[in-house]
Amino acid sequence: MSDRILRLQHVQVRVPDLELCTAYYTEVVGLVETAHSDGRVFLKCWDEHEHHSVVLRQAPTYGLDHMSFKVAELGDLDYYTERVEGAGIAVKRYARGELGPGWGEAIRFEAPSGHTVELVFGMAKVGNMLPLFNPPPRPGNLIGIAPPRLDHIFIMAEDVELATAFFTEILEFRLTEQIVANDGHQLATWLERSHTPHDIAIVTGPNGALHHFAFWLDDWNAVREAADLLAFNGVTIDIAPTRHGATRGYTMYFFDPVGNRNEVFTGGYWVDPDFEPITWTEEEMGKAMFYYAGQVNERFFTVHS
Amino acid sequence: MGVLRLAHVDVRTPDLELSTAYYTEVLGLSVAARTDDAVYLKCWDEENHHSVRLRYDSRTGLDLFSFRVEREDDLDELENSLTAYGCQVRRLARGEAVGQGESIRFVIPSGQTMELVWDLDKTGNILGKHNPSPVPPPDLPGIAPPRLDHMLIQAEEVGESYTFFRDVLGFRMTEQVIDANGHQMGVWLERSHSPHDIAIVNGPNGALHHFAFWLDDWDQVRKAADILAFNGVQIDQGPTRHGITRGNTIYFFDPLGIRNEVFTGGYKPDPDFPAITWTEDQFGRGLFYYENVVSQRFLRMHT
Repeated sequence: MSDRILRLQHVQVRVPDLELCTAYYTEVVGLVETAHSDGRVFLKCWDEHEHHSVVLRQAPTYGLDHMSFKVAELGDLDYYTERVEGAGIAVKRYARGELGPGWGEAIRFEAPSGHTVELVFGMAKVGNMLPLFNPPPRPGNLIGIAPPRLDHIFIMAEDVELATAFFTEILEFRLTEQIVANDGHQLATWLERSHTPHDIAIVTGPNGALHHFAFWLDDWNAVREAADLLAFNGVTIDIAPTRHGATRGYTMYFFDPVGNRNEVFTGGYWVDPDFEPITWTEEEMGKAMFYYAGQVNERFFTVHS
Repeated sequence: MGVLRLAHVDVRTPDLELSTAYYTEVLGLSVAARTDDAVYLKCWDEENHHSVRLRYDSRTGLDLFSFRVEREDDLDELENSLTAYGCQVRRLARGEAVGQGESIRFVIPSGQTMELVWDLDKTGNILGKHNPSPVPPPDLPGIAPPRLDHMLIQAEEVGESYTFFRDVLGFRMTEQVIDANGHQMGVWLERSHSPHDIAIVNGPNGALHHFAFWLDDWDQVRKAADILAFNGVQIDQGPTRHGITRGNTIYFFDPLGIRNEVFTGGYKPDPDFPAITWTEDQFGRGLFYYENVVSQRFLRMHT
């Protein structure tokens, strides 16, 4: 039996200035450009084996085009097509390569929160930046922050419970943590497929909105070094290096040149499939988001793309 | 589906009190249960009953190692594969082993006893599920790793063991060391999307090389070295970095000679990860990337 959805494969975001954003994502974040075609730039992190994990698309506005999750087997596309259509949601299928360079076979549909979700199988493999024989632990010529891989995405939804139910019941994500309001409804949820605290999280806000996407770093020291690099390059830091209560992760939030929020993230914990979810109450929401500060600034909840 | 992760390692010790003191006060595990001849220990972030069992015996060594499977019915499926391969499989009912329900046990081609289990007693981690702090209380003694990570066993025929773990139990190879004749000298195998849940290197059948605890980062590894040195624990190697797995590591010995490791880092392989190959002439870098030496003590000492 298949492992089904494995992890976040890529995000595609809109940018009104493709050149500026390409410079930022390659020189400051330190991703590698793998293709450039028809108003889109394709980027990957150094340790990723597949063609892209971030796609920038030239557009008049900023924001999220879609998010894509990798499935383990081709048959998983049929499996999820049936489940999503069974929930009354239309599914479109795309042949290998139809959606762009390096793209695998894919299905797309709209989540109840208005986000386009893609599931993909068979992305082109371009290899990480290390040889398969006697590799050093990291490449020697990295620039910028150079995270090894994309980690997770955080989106907004008017009805967090409805969106969460779609991801858990139809797409079989598992709930690891939630913030529950005093009246009992979910303010935010963290969901996983990859035995980590989250592959996607959902917080109350406008439908279709992107709160941020996050890159993995190896440890807290790498988060501090990333902060040095961002400050040196004049990047707007939204939340300086700190710790989450929810997920336990170490984090820093910052904005790309057109206002899409990025995060670098490390830490967390291992999650078995029968993990009992953690619940945060509304009073402790500040600690859940930022454990040291114990409070959330207005910008963090109101600014999105 | 199938095997999920390493659940517990059961070892023998000729001095149960001394070993218990070391694992609780220096490593910082907590005692989950005691019986007449055994002590059950767990790490602070583990949700199940125990991850290490110490049993009194006149000789040190490995009793068995246990992997958790993802779903209850995986046990039947894997039992069928094991029987088809020719393993004698013994089924244990709830009540036959402390802290868990039904399990199956069998001897693997390299002679160690392995267990598969789904039904582990849930005792919860130290933090709870309601507005939990992201860190354990600051007064936890010792190194206090959050969880058990992996183990390394030895086999006379590494290639045969690899085939068994791949074909019968569904493990995936992330890295291997190949000698000049093309034989596998070591293999690193995973189920949990990490560089390894178990590794097998050339050596006597039945031997345990080490078992390893996870730490969150390199700074924790450095602190662990301070704690080990302060307590007079014999450090075997490190703190240093592996070429194989890319992990940051220290090896050290428990009071009766069982090798322990603390480990962090690595990478996150998908099931279609292309395996990495190390050649024999680069084995030193593969083992210890900074020192670039093949330590004879490291390769030869085991329990």
